[in-house]
Amino acid sequence: MTQRLIEKYVAGKMGEAEAEAFEVACLEDPELARQVEFEQRLKAGLEQVSRGSTAEFVRAESTTRWRLAAAASVLLFICAGVYLWQRLPGTHPHVLAAVATEAERNGISMRLALVRGAEHVPQLPGGKVRVEIVGLFDPGYHYSVVLDRLREQKAEDNVATLYGQHATSPVTLEVMVDGDQLAPGTYSLRVRKQASDEEALDFSFVKP
Amino acid sequence: MDFIPGGELSRRIRDGDVSAESDLIRQFEPGLRVLLRRRTGGDQGLLQDLVQETLLVVIQRLRGDGIDDPQKLAAFAAQTARNLAIASLRKAERQKTDVDSEATERKADSSRSVETMAGDLEAALAVRALLRELPQARDRLMLKRFYLDDYDKEHICEEMQLTEAAFNQALSRARRRFRQILEERGFTKRDLLSLGL
Repeated sequence: MTQRLIEKYVAGKMGEAEAEAFEVACLEDPELARQVEFEQRLKAGLEQVSRGSTAEFVRAESTTRWRLAAAASVLLFICAGVYLWQRLPGTHPHVLAAVATEAERNGISMRLALVRGAEHVPQLPGGKVRVEIVGLFDPGYHYSVVLDRLREQKAEDNVATLYGQHATSPVTLEVMVDGDQLAPGTYSLRVRKQASDEEALDFSFVKP
Repeated sequence: MDFIPGGELSRRIRDGDVSAESDLIRQFEPGLRVLLRRRTGGDQGLLQDLVQETLLVVIQRLRGDGIDDPQKLAAFAAQTARNLAIASLRKAERQKTDVDSEATERKADSSRSVETMAGDLEAALAVRALLRELPQARDRLMLKRFYLDDYDKEHICEEMQLTEAAFNQALSRARRRFRQILEERGFTKRDLLSLGL
């Protein structure tokens, strides 16, 4: 009720007699008077700011619009990033992974071995495939596994790299490759003993 | 401060109690500022002069003859202030039409205009700070509609699809913050420059 009277007085919407009575009430109640004065000053301040220009109000609104636009851009950027992340197999964490579960150990597999005179390049089936890499491995060392896509006349495209892998036996090192995430083409899988000068074992396979 | 009835103030001042004069000033000054602010068009210097003049007239009257109905001391002070404001306006009108040396000297005296600007400046800077702080454009527009465009609440609520409770809450928040800014904030040189001073 009091606030409504204050607003009415400050807006100049009181009749003369009502305004005079209200002023006497203000003289008798300093706290009421202070409330009214702040209301008067708020109105006066707004008037003064808007007299210069209405930029304060317009800017305020356009700032919000700008923020909304910026937020939309960031969202769009994130969506595009996620999309590209999913589309680029080289950055996808599941294209190449360590063998982790019993199901993976017992699932589809493909063997890669260096066989002189081999006429056929192994073909990678679809889905998650356990790849057995045959060679001589030192069980006490870490190995890195690098999966690259080979293109004619062009440099290799790195698809994924896995570090810190252990051989499962002195002659076998296993990794999981998700065939569904690889585009058709020829790939190489290189296994190198980490922190050593030993030459990498280099295998190739085809994703139909 | 507790309210002191006009009769008691009148009696104590008539009896020479100086502390009663201080009480009268503390009690009436805020209300006189409200009343005179409305009649001085934002001229802070004139406002302050008229407040002091009113208090002086009232105290001198109570020291001397007193007033007819001491219980209506507040009404007497209010009417004194209105009369002084009217007299001041008339004087200002005369000065506008009669260009004389006295008026020219007054015009050359910039102290009043600086004081006036400083008073308005405080409120304007607080409003600017408030506008910067308000999180929603809707709240800023609401203040503009209410205080500058003079829309009534119902109209604003309809336009902004607000309930009256939400409107009152937002307005009350803005008022509280404005008061807080005025009471607490020290304005910086950068603020002054931002207003082009």
